[in-house]
Amino acid sequence: MQVRSQISMVFHLDKCIGCHTCSIACKNIWTDRSGTEYMWWNNVETKPGTGYPAQWEDQDKFAGGWEKKGDEISLRSTDKKRIVPNIFHNPHMPSMDDYYEPWTYDYQNLFNAPEGPDQPTARPISRVTGEYIDIESGPNWDDDLGGSKIYAANDPNLKGLSPDQRQQLSAIERLVFFYFPRICNHCLNPACVASCPSGALYKRGEDGIVLIDQKRCRAWRSCVAACPYKKTYYNWHTGKSEKCILCFPRLETGQAPACFHSCVGRIRYLGVLLYDAEKIEHIAKLPDSELVEGHRSMILDPNDPEVIESAKKCGIHDAVIDSAQKSPVYKFVKEWKVALPPHIEYRTLPMLFYVPPMSPVMSQQNGDTVDHLNNGFFHDIESSRVPMKFLANLFGAGHESKVAYALKKQKAVRWYRRAMTVGDIDMATAHKMLQAADCSVEEAEALYRLTSLCTFDDRFVIPPAQREEAIEMMKDPHEHRQSVGFGFSSGSRRGL
Amino acid sequence: MNDVTSLERIQSWVESEGWAAILAALLLVVVGVSPARAESPEDFFRQNCASCHTIGGGRLVGPDLKNVGQRQEGEWLVGFILNPQARINSGDPYAQQLLDEARGVVMPTVPGISRARAEALLTMIAEQSAMERSEFAGSKISDRPFTEDDVRMGREIFIGRNRLAAGGPACASCHTVNGLGGLSGGRLGPDLTKVYERIGSRPALAAWLQGPATTTMRPVFAGHPLSDDEILSLVAFFENAARAADDDSTVPLLNFFLMGLLGTALALAILDGIWRRRFRAVRRPLVDAS
Repeated sequence: MQVRSQISMVFHLDKCIGCHTCSIACKNIWTDRSGTEYMWWNNVETKPGTGYPAQWEDQDKFAGGWEKKGDEISLRSTDKKRIVPNIFHNPHMPSMDDYYEPWTYDYQNLFNAPEGPDQPTARPISRVTGEYIDIESGPNWDDDLGGSKIYAANDPNLKGLSPDQRQQLSAIERLVFFYFPRICNHCLNPACVASCPSGALYKRGEDGIVLIDQKRCRAWRSCVAACPYKKTYYNWHTGKSEKCILCFPRLETGQAPACFHSCVGRIRYLGVLLYDAEKIEHIAKLPDSELVEGHRSMILDPNDPEVIESAKKCGIHDAVIDSAQKSPVYKFVKEWKVALPPHIEYRTLPMLFYVPPMSPVMSQQNGDTVDHLNNGFFHDIESSRVPMKFLANLFGAGHESKVAYALKKQKAVRWYRRAMTVGDIDMATAHKMLQAADCSVEEAEALYRLTSLCTFDDRFVIPPAQREEAIEMMKDPHEHRQSVGFGFSSGSRRGL
Repeated sequence: MNDVTSLERIQSWVESEGWAAILAALLLVVVGVSPARAESPEDFFRQNCASCHTIGGGRLVGPDLKNVGQRQEGEWLVGFILNPQARINSGDPYAQQLLDEARGVVMPTVPGISRARAEALLTMIAEQSAMERSEFAGSKISDRPFTEDDVRMGREIFIGRNRLAAGGPACASCHTVNGLGGLSGGRLGPDLTKVYERIGSRPALAAWLQGPATTTMRPVFAGHPLSDDEILSLVAFFENAARAADDDSTVPLLNFFLMGLLGTALALAILDGIWRRRFRAVRRPLVDAS
């Protein structure tokens, strides 16, 4: 058993209100520099929708992630054979138009415009060329189903839905959408790391954060093509690629990443998971239907004495193990099994998990009043407004059982709490539902508390950074002792 | 095994003789590759002069040199041999007359010529002139009329389908002639369509082919002389080419250009076909399709 620790995340989609506060927090801290204007390390998408960049989930087009061929898996984009002929032109690169052309507005014109018959306007200016542009798309152009006929209708997750189901998704009074906030998944089998010809990407040993070494990056942009989630971006100003760093400078000082910290809906949870690194290769090669369960099976019980002993042997600090035992992520993913990895079929083994959303309550106008439909507040999961197949394409590699399990448990907890607090539901029925959903009363309480009443410290269990020990994996901490004094630290520049 | 022993021998030799041996070896190498090595005037004439001049065999490109010493004084001749162009430029009337007789072909400055060598050549020419029949009395090329077979054979030799017996490279690797078809020959050397007319006669061209004297061709063919049969065929081919030549030699050039253009377009079309499903854009087609 090769135990490693990974800072993992859970996004509770049932709580996301799509306010984009996370995106703004991230942008203000990390990507407001020249060359990064178009990057959104954190972005919030509306589903159904094509997302950012457009249709990133369609790997027939973008060729991201891993592909299973027989018993082996290989990168879809540029494997070792194809990287040589394609090294100067990666054939699967998203264009600027697929992201969007970043812009600002000509605000000065509001002050400086000569007097005239009309109000002055602030025309949009490209932040790439500096010219006036007509805005054609943006990073959340399809927000709240904007441009549905183009964007929502072309969501790759609609694959396998009947024409009826598709039609109902956008039908009046049945129309439905939910939000899908995304950051880098800090995968266990990252395609970006595997694809880099310069070896500039690496997964940090002590906490599993995937980073790009700005000094070793040679702008091949293989990572941009290889990442199936399109979460590495090319900075045209520095000539290097960049990605979400999970705010490691904040994590190392015990603060939650900016997007987590600022989340208004408190949908984000962060904690350490212990996993067995020996299993990565085997799990990444499982057939689609076994991937979710296989991925979950890699995560080790931090309370198991055997695991603790192995973890210590593998150099994991007691404080990290202690933190893993309190991890909210472990509860959501492993204990309650309500959080699922996004698009596990890309086989990168993402370590960001999503609690699938319950569909909104359906209502109908009756004269002057708006009533809920017959099936009440807590509709039948199988006839959910967001088709199960759609969620399964997102979170279950196309297989519905795991998604259905998570939704059923959430529904049972709702019934149970309704019986408890309002009392219009029979407690016996609620218990029966809990039982059917494989959920004990204690579990239901805990799930309810961590979902609804969670404090800051419940949501973010950040292990104390052991940088002084972690750095010993890479270099001798005494290397420069007594040899350097004052000096300069250099920023990254284009070229060698 | 053999290599090792010879290496050991060299080593022991170097050790025993020391630096002097190394210097001697270096000197040997320098002298060995030097073009100024001793050579009889006859050999020099054969290699450098005989392609244009005979001694008692009549005019080729240049005049017959029999009794040349009686036509001009020695000093004038030496000066002309050392630098023909300069003598012509000086406005010398006799040099101008020679140029006119050679129909404007200026005698090239012979590589490796020196005053001593020029004088030796003149002495040799005087000796040869006194003979009944000089060994440089012209080529032995047959003067029978050329047949279709000769022309066909010459063509085969020119394009390299029939290899030169002594192993020289085919003419088409550097030269071309109108009407070769396909991509025709090379463009490194001059177009030889009208070479027969330029050189002027069968013996002149044959003499040229016997020992090509230009700085480019001389080293290439020095070790690989053409046989008499090959020369006959080639002369027949050149004679035929000059006669049949279309006056407009830009046609093959234009064809070549057009074929290149067409080929490029075809290659691009094929590449576009092979990669027709390549990734172009995602969002734009979605918008356009709606």
